[in-house]
Amino acid sequence: MSEAPDLTEDEALAAEHALGVLNARERADAEQRMARDPAFAADVEAWRGRLAPMLDSVEPVTAPAGLWPRIERLLPANDNGQILSRLRFWRNAAVGGFALAAASLAAVVVQVNQPPVTVDRPVPVAPQGQLLSASMVSQEGRAQPLFVASYDPDRKALIVTSLLPEQSDRDKVHELWLIAGQDNPKSLGLVESGKAKVIALPTEVMQKMSEGAALAVSVEPPGGSKNPDGPSGPVIGVGKLSRL
Amino acid sequence: MASAATSADVLNPLMARIAAGERDALRQLYDATSAKLFGVCLRILSDREESEDVLQDVYVTIWRRADRFDSGRASVMTWLSTIARNRAIDRLRARGPMAYAEPVDELEIADGSDSAETLLSAADDRNRLSACLGELDDRTEKVIRTAFFEGVTYEALAKRMDAPLGTVKSWIRRGLAKLKGCLQS
Repeated sequence: MSEAPDLTEDEALAAEHALGVLNARERADAEQRMARDPAFAADVEAWRGRLAPMLDSVEPVTAPAGLWPRIERLLPANDNGQILSRLRFWRNAAVGGFALAAASLAAVVVQVNQPPVTVDRPVPVAPQGQLLSASMVSQEGRAQPLFVASYDPDRKALIVTSLLPEQSDRDKVHELWLIAGQDNPKSLGLVESGKAKVIALPTEVMQKMSEGAALAVSVEPPGGSKNPDGPSGPVIGVGKLSRL
Repeated sequence: MASAATSADVLNPLMARIAAGERDALRQLYDATSAKLFGVCLRILSDREESEDVLQDVYVTIWRRADRFDSGRASVMTWLSTIARNRAIDRLRARGPMAYAEPVDELEIADGSDSAETLLSAADDRNRLSACLGELDDRTEKVIRTAFFEGVTYEALAKRMDAPLGTVKSWIRRGLAKLKGCLQS
């Protein structure tokens, strides 16, 4: 084989992530980067595609008959629609103004007009040390995420990145919310457009960071929501926390 | 993997329905793909019970993450296999450092490149990848296959092979660059 040119640093990282040689921390960083950097994500997907044929040689094995019912029992009932319906329930008034927000709000209003659905499922215990990520998208269509976040239990922090253009809306701020179990949405602070932020989490919030909980961002007046129990403005992005 | 049941025409619409929260669609996806993904888990874990647990987790993950699937970026089968492989590797890593104790030379590494039966039934992609892996020097091929099927980190590979981290890293990076060149030619 002739000498191939070296991979660029970025592509090498993409290839390493696809191959699986990165440690847990590097993997988490790579996943976070995939969410906010489409070119890097495309590189990773291309490498996954290149390497996937290795799995073709794996013989299929019929899974045991009892497995599907087990899976079905575990499926969480809370999809994004239900999370939104709960956020909507907590909202006081619809404050428009932000075009994107207004559009997504319209979708939300059509979707839901009822109080929160009680979801009957065991609250998963969050083992400390579980890296989680969320990709917050608007509700019309499945566009690129508007915000991405990853929860890092070792750093006791949530790293959140706004993918909106910088200073895209000067009169409004974006507030990040945690929606876990049946609790009121919990504000995790404000997120600046186009910026990344590390949010230190107190223990009681860390305990709520588990798969199935969700993060959402609402548009609020400067200073954030005046409502202590939830957003007062429209929700522009929502995404569930899941493991990598 | 190009059978009718797992073609993109069948699977792509299923993914959209799963993202919309349709359990029936997940059931159909399970029927079409669970044998393949169970095979992947077993290949990595060599333990039936653990593979069942992981497979269960894989479909719950698919349910949760279906809204992030982008058909423009990946094929459904690659996306599903990646989740199954990652989860199985997580489980393997959770067994602790003992899972990494075997030296690479003693690992039984399935060699997909020389079985006549394999070649006859295989898709072109697989043959090309096998051929290109076969063009790498033996050590690099072995390391790449081991990393792929076991999710062995650079650190663990270096320990197993008793080689400096930087050296292992450069073997793999050079191997991947060659692989890419070969697959493109």
